[in-house]
Amino acid sequence: MNEPTLRRVLAATGAALLLGGCAGVQPWDRDVLARPEMQIVSDPSEAAADEHIYFSKEASSGGQGFGGGGCGCN
Amino acid sequence: MQLKNGKSPTFRRIGAPLAAATCALLGQSAPREVAAQELMPWDIDTSLLIYSESDGRVRDTSLNARARKEIREEKFLDLTLAIDSLTGASPSGAVPASTVQTFTSPSGNSQYTVGAGAQALDTSFLDTRTALSANWEMPLTRLALLSVGASLSDEYDYTHTGLNARLARDFNNRNTTLSFGLALANDTISPVGGSPVPLAPLLGLGNQTNKRGDQSKDVTDLLFGVTQVLNRHTIVQLNYSLSQADGYLTDPYKLLSVVDPVTGNPVPGPAGSGLSRYLFERRPDTRDKQSLYGLVKRDFNGDVLEASYRYMTDDWGVDSHTVELRYRWSFGSGRYLQPHVRFYQQTAADFYRTVLFNGAPLPTYATADHRLGEFDGLTLGVKYGRATARGGEWSTRVEYYTQTGNPAPGSAVGALANFDLYPDLNALIAQFSYKFGRR
Repeated sequence: MNEPTLRRVLAATGAALLLGGCAGVQPWDRDVLARPEMQIVSDPSEAAADEHIYFSKEASSGGQGFGGGGCGCN
Repeated sequence: MQLKNGKSPTFRRIGAPLAAATCALLGQSAPREVAAQELMPWDIDTSLLIYSESDGRVRDTSLNARARKEIREEKFLDLTLAIDSLTGASPSGAVPASTVQTFTSPSGNSQYTVGAGAQALDTSFLDTRTALSANWEMPLTRLALLSVGASLSDEYDYTHTGLNARLARDFNNRNTTLSFGLALANDTISPVGGSPVPLAPLLGLGNQTNKRGDQSKDVTDLLFGVTQVLNRHTIVQLNYSLSQADGYLTDPYKLLSVVDPVTGNPVPGPAGSGLSRYLFERRPDTRDKQSLYGLVKRDFNGDVLEASYRYMTDDWGVDSHTVELRYRWSFGSGRYLQPHVRFYQQTAADFYRTVLFNGAPLPTYATADHRLGEFDGLTLGVKYGRATARGGEWSTRVEYYTQTGNPAPGSAVGALANFDLYPDLNALIAQFSYKFGRR
């Protein structure tokens, strides 16, 4: 994927999300989304461990949060 | 003045705070009513992580603790601590040879040998890492949330300091959240024995004339995110992030073998060193990365499916795709089983070389670090969790991670055709977690 394509995908997905959001879920219907396992990061310890492992072993990092790092991982 | 036996309203009003203050002075716990009002307990997560590669390669044992507390109304403090103990052997980057190979360790004080046909592993690898972070989260307005944090980590040859901030704002009746994050880091690299002059040869025992002092790098990360509630059961997230690193991005311990372009055999190194010719690697001193990350989370009557995809591209020529799936299958009484699969694929950096050929002009940049080569990664795992009676949870996960890659094209000349120039990496990941209950 080259850079212009990346930008187009980003813009289109962003617009779709914002428009799709107009329907909306009311606060009193948030019972399911409020459950701990439905949070975007439901297990921070597991997420941090994975971030550390894959940062050390692969050339990519980040995406969901910041790029990790802070180690001279061998 | 004489106090009456019957307590006046004034006395009752000041009674509780006074009792709390007295108890605090005496080091005793305050009465329950006061404690419930003013001292919310910490949410504490602890875990033990074991990452272990086969064939005696890297092993990391990591202890982690996270604590979160509502210090004031809707203002949260998060603290994390991680202690890692690393042992084992790390691939040096040199290729196997038909004869025994000798290497000088980074300190220059010792040497190690690698058997004929064996992968070159540097066995002098040993480190302890301590990492701390603190984060403060507070509402700015009714719909905007600011979080600021600092991080610090220290190991024998590496120190990291970082600051970060993230601003999130809700829209559409809190169905849409836009967020923006910024992180700045400054790291100092103090390699054992000094930082090698890039592309300089590995020297003999006690000769450290091609080593220099400490190095540093700065990393800036930017993140733009949208989180969207699609319906009562589905939430999605899309992030775009940019990362710019500037400074010393080379791995000071990695080498490249210089071989004969016809026979593929090692060639003699510096005169009198008794070594073959190995050069220290060199990477560019800037790196720009961009990534696009999408996540969908959906509830199916109590079970949760989580699917994510990340595309990353950088100016070193690395493009990668990561797909992850988790399905949390709940089977009553707070118990669940969660299978996990992760697919990863990356292209090689433009300057990735498996070997350098004797007599050919030296490239500007070169690395034989497999992590910058072309490979596929696969993770398969399962997690089991169970709620405790007090509202906490314990969980265990076991995962298997494997990497299968390819050497740089045109590398398998002569004798090198007999060897595995990109050995698979197999690792076991086990994590045991305990989340304390608040009841």
